Amino acid sequence: MHWFESQLATLDQLALAYQNSQKQPEAADIVNISEDIRFKRNEFITAVQKLVDDVIRVEGITACAAYHDGLILAYAGKPSDVDALGAIIQESIGVAKQGTASLSLGEIEQIVIIGASNKVAMLNVGPITCCILSPKTTNLASALS
Amino acid sequence: MSNIKTLEPRKSQASEIDLILRNLMSIQGVSAAAIVDNDGLVTHIHRNLDINTDAIGASVQIVFGAASKSAKHVGHNVTNVVICENAEGYILTAPIESGFMLALVTERDTLLGRARFELKETLPMLKKLFASHL
Repeated sequence: MHWFESQLATLDQLALAYQNSQKQPEAADIVNISEDIRFKRNEFITAVQKLVDDVIRVEGITACAAYHDGLILAYAGKPSDVDALGAIIQESIGVAKQGTASLSLGEIEQIVIIGASNKVAMLNVGPITCCILSPKTTNLASALS
Repeated sequence: MSNIKTLEPRKSQASEIDLILRNLMSIQGVSAAAIVDNDGLVTHIHRNLDINTDAIGASVQIVFGAASKSAKHVGHNVTNVVICENAEGYILTAPIESGFMLALVTERDTLLGRARFELKETLPMLKKLFASHL
């Protein structure tokens, strides 16, 4: 497993741990559950911010950002317009979902849009979407390995 | 069965509510996190600048009331979150329980998605805490 894949796997585990913490039985101690949920959410968000900060240090990456429901959650580098990127993500995921349903592709994991000069990769991790912007010539697989 | 609740759990629930607000304050750009009651009075608040507490309470109830009425007019039914975008920042409000509202006042440079994510994720637990607290 290369570096970025292992980072995504860690994030997935943290997202799952957070999700599970929300499913604790109603009868249990509400204050302790609340504290546990808060702790798990902070762990996940801190890991998201760390991933974004780490990715931007990779040569050939222009910007990295994380979104929730199309709204900016964390970013590093210089995304040209964070709000526009958020809108594109929502739009792209909507279109891709229609496609995956008719082609039986399963849950969307990645969407890549390649322009004449730059490209953007969108990856779903738990409740968030991670976006990586780079010049078209960057080989993301080897850059993030 | 008795309806009387001991003071100790209520105290720990109140301090948990306090910790939740403190946690919301740790988000970059958030300048106040408050809970406002049905009458527009602030019951819990954490803030890092000189905000008029009474003004927050009243405006939160007015803005949310107007937004939820307009949502009903267009057939959107229940209002979950109201985001008020201002020249110098945002005000996010969401209903908790029994007329209580959670309000976040942020600066312009806040990460809106982060503030909204935390607000939405915090609500279910706040609802439970208030349901058992009241």
